[in-house]
Amino acid sequence: MPNKEKLEISRIKEVESTNLARDEIRDEVIETKKAVERDNNLIADKIHQDFLNNSIKSFDIVGAIGAGKTALLEKIVEILTQKYRVLVICGDITTRVDADRIEKHNAETIQINTGRECALNAYHIHQIIKNKNLQNYDVIFIENVGNLICPSEFVLGTDKRITVVSITEGEWVIEKHPMLFKMSDIAVINKIDLKERLGTNVEKMINDAKKFNPEIEVITTSAKTGENMDKLLELLGF
Amino acid sequence: MKQELTKIEEVIVKPEEIKESNIQELMDTFFSKLKNRVDNYIGDYPTFIEPVYLEDNVKIGDDVLLGPNVYIGANSEISDYVEISNTIIFDNVKIGENFKLENCIVAKDSSFNFTELNVKKSVLMGVANLKNELQKIGF
Repeated sequence: MPNKEKLEISRIKEVESTNLARDEIRDEVIETKKAVERDNNLIADKIHQDFLNNSIKSFDIVGAIGAGKTALLEKIVEILTQKYRVLVICGDITTRVDADRIEKHNAETIQINTGRECALNAYHIHQIIKNKNLQNYDVIFIENVGNLICPSEFVLGTDKRITVVSITEGEWVIEKHPMLFKMSDIAVINKIDLKERLGTNVEKMINDAKKFNPEIEVITTSAKTGENMDKLLELLGF
Repeated sequence: MKQELTKIEEVIVKPEEIKESNIQELMDTFFSKLKNRVDNYIGDYPTFIEPVYLEDNVKIGDDVLLGPNVYIGANSEISDYVEISNTIIFDNVKIGENFKLENCIVAKDSSFNFTELNVKKSVLMGVANLKNELQKIGF
């Protein structure tokens, strides 16, 4: 294939839109995209099997920047590390700010800086766990890169996916991101301590999540006050 | 960390002894002590899985995945679409486009000026303008 076409396919893959492909290379772009998804699913299945073989409980946490993913993880990890060996894999475009925060609560952390990729994929996780002795862990959390769009493209092989939104994002945030809630097991609506002040329609948020995914567990929390943290831990199976 | 690097460098200067050496053990010890240092590179926006340690003046191309367990020596250059894990690259090295290196060591002043290579568990060295010119010793 000429270099020019290679570059074009690479660029289209980057923006993840087959609509940009010229007719001449459209089939190839679509096939590439399907292959990427297939490969990711295969690796995710292997990861999950590895976790199960080592009796590890695993969770993938997604949500927008500022929703409170790290704050919730800090609370969860603070409690769980008293009893369990916890590994937290943190995804971010750059920096290890989140990993540093979580590490203070006695969990081992590994940072993935994705550069300009907007989500973690199963290959990233596999690269980490193949270098680890999984017998050293009881629980693994994966905190995805902060956004509500890209992570829906890639499953990571965990037992459960938790999507975190906060009421500061507005009551339409769930309605506007159906994909992620369809593929999540738990929806956490965080910063509930601000409900009175903001007047956000939290019932609408709960109903939207249930409408997209009747199986989803929905919980309101405040990482700041600790409200419902016990219930969240119960939903996680602790 | 530097102590292990020196030992590894001493092993790879005698290519005939690499196979029988304890190089894997030295690498494992080195990686167990490896810290993260990634904020000093020149180039695009690679993906880093820590720990990755970049010495000064490392140039990194587009769509590169580095880590875990990667050390890159000073003034080295990593081209586009490269993936490297569990690997030590010494100073003044050039890695060609679309290389995948896993559990490798690249000797200082090496320069690989061709595209596409997928190698595991090997020491790479020298200047190679074509794939068949590559000096590679498995371990």
